[in-house]
Amino acid sequence: MKKYTLRFIYSFVLRWFLKLIVGVRFAKTDFMKELDQFIIVANHNSHLDTITLLASLPADILHKVKPIAAGDYFGKNWLTRNLSSFFINAVLIDRKGMKENPESAPIPRMISELEMGNSLILFPEGTRGEPEELKPFKRGIALVLSKKSDVPYIPAFLSGMGKNLPKGGVIPVPFNSYIRFGNPTWVASEDTRSIISKIQDDILQLRTE
Amino acid sequence: MFDKIFRLDYFQNQELLQVIILIFGILIFASTLFFVVGKIKPNANLGELKSRTRSWWVMAIVFLVATMFSNKISFIALGFLSFVAFRELYSILDFRNDDRYAVFWAYLAIPIQYYLAYIGWYGAYIIFIPVIMFLILPLRLVLRGETKGIIKSMASLHWIIMLSVFGISHLAYLLSLPELPGFDAGGRGLLLFLVFLTEINDVLQFIFGKLFGKHKIIPAISPNKTWEGFLGGIIFTTVIGYFLRFLIPLPVFEAVFVSFLIAFSGFSGDIVMSSIKRDIGVKDTSNAIPGHGGVLDRIDSLSYTAPVFFHMVYFLAY
Repeated sequence: MKKYTLRFIYSFVLRWFLKLIVGVRFAKTDFMKELDQFIIVANHNSHLDTITLLASLPADILHKVKPIAAGDYFGKNWLTRNLSSFFINAVLIDRKGMKENPESAPIPRMISELEMGNSLILFPEGTRGEPEELKPFKRGIALVLSKKSDVPYIPAFLSGMGKNLPKGGVIPVPFNSYIRFGNPTWVASEDTRSIISKIQDDILQLRTE
Repeated sequence: MFDKIFRLDYFQNQELLQVIILIFGILIFASTLFFVVGKIKPNANLGELKSRTRSWWVMAIVFLVATMFSNKISFIALGFLSFVAFRELYSILDFRNDDRYAVFWAYLAIPIQYYLAYIGWYGAYIIFIPVIMFLILPLRLVLRGETKGIIKSMASLHWIIMLSVFGISHLAYLLSLPELPGFDAGGRGLLLFLVFLTEINDVLQFIFGKLFGKHKIIPAISPNKTWEGFLGGIIFTTVIGYFLRFLIPLPVFEAVFVSFLIAFSGFSGDIVMSSIKRDIGVKDTSNAIPGHGGVLDRIDSLSYTAPVFFHMVYFLAY
């Protein structure tokens, strides 16, 4: 039921809404069907980012791709928690205070989702930044990738979303934007810092293409 | 029942039907020509011409379908055209983050403007953007409390709404003009005449420029525009206007004059838009239409020809 609801919402309703009204140019994502699992790593400037990423995915794998969301923001109360885990298919993690609450600690949580066979969407900036700016990445993504080296990451770059619906905005004001994906990449090294800078470069590379 | 839902004017009205056949005749001719030339000279660089022609097919069919059925669909389609053009301009002109609130209001003005055109309330339609939005949008900008760069935002915002919404909405108002006794082609005839002449003028200027272009007309703005293209476009557009004058309720001399004005103002709209793009440093306003660029790159001339043509006809015939 959830599978078909998500398909209808993202691959049909929101995809057309984003295309026609918001002004998003989508990129081809058929290559994702060839992969068993992946982690999409994207820049983050707007709530539209997650929606656009989900609407970009091939419909048949949509339900297996889970965005990582901040538990302290989306999980504030019972209602938003349930809505975000149903309609965004989100995995809620705790950005702070993982000592009191070990089972929602970010890294083990993401790894266990990957072990269940799901794919992830991650915004390593940790929060939405100023429109069109890239903040330094947190190292969580590198920790996950170095532990699960069989899972590739896919860099994604979203442009114009922060102009459309910036942090603090309520209604999107249509602005021509686009989403681009890079090639799936498997990490070879264990060094978190070099993984991070590689991912960052890949994303910035997409911006200049 | 069927008649009430669909106004298949194009098939019942001899005059409109002739022009539709002409349009598709030209498209078939162009496609065949490029196909044959491509076969004879395989290394001729026709890629752009072919993709342009393919886009013309799509645009012609979308336009005809959008204006063939009920008036409601035509107004929604034209309103959507304005919306996309407005969005393109807003996206390339470097607006401040604080401007998004006023821009949102400007977006809301689009359905209102087209609704006023739809109900045919001329007095409100003609002042809504030039007067009412002109006063409201700066106020909304001021209420944000950020004055740094506000004059540029006020000016740009009003300019883009005039060009993409007010200008283009004249296409829609043609459909709301009252019927004239003895003039069968009606609003759809006027619309078809305007759009066909504007676009054929663009194409003719392009062709004459490519074939005979030697003397640059305005090299600082658009290095590809030549006197030969400009004059060839104007002369032949005026001649075509003379033969298609059965679509408009004007006598011969006036019809020729209006056709000339369409050709001239189409060129003007084109170079005005080119200068904007040159200033910002982009080649196209987006890449929505393969071979052409953005929607705005295609309708830049219409934003000039539509008000000019509308007010000439309104003055002369209504």
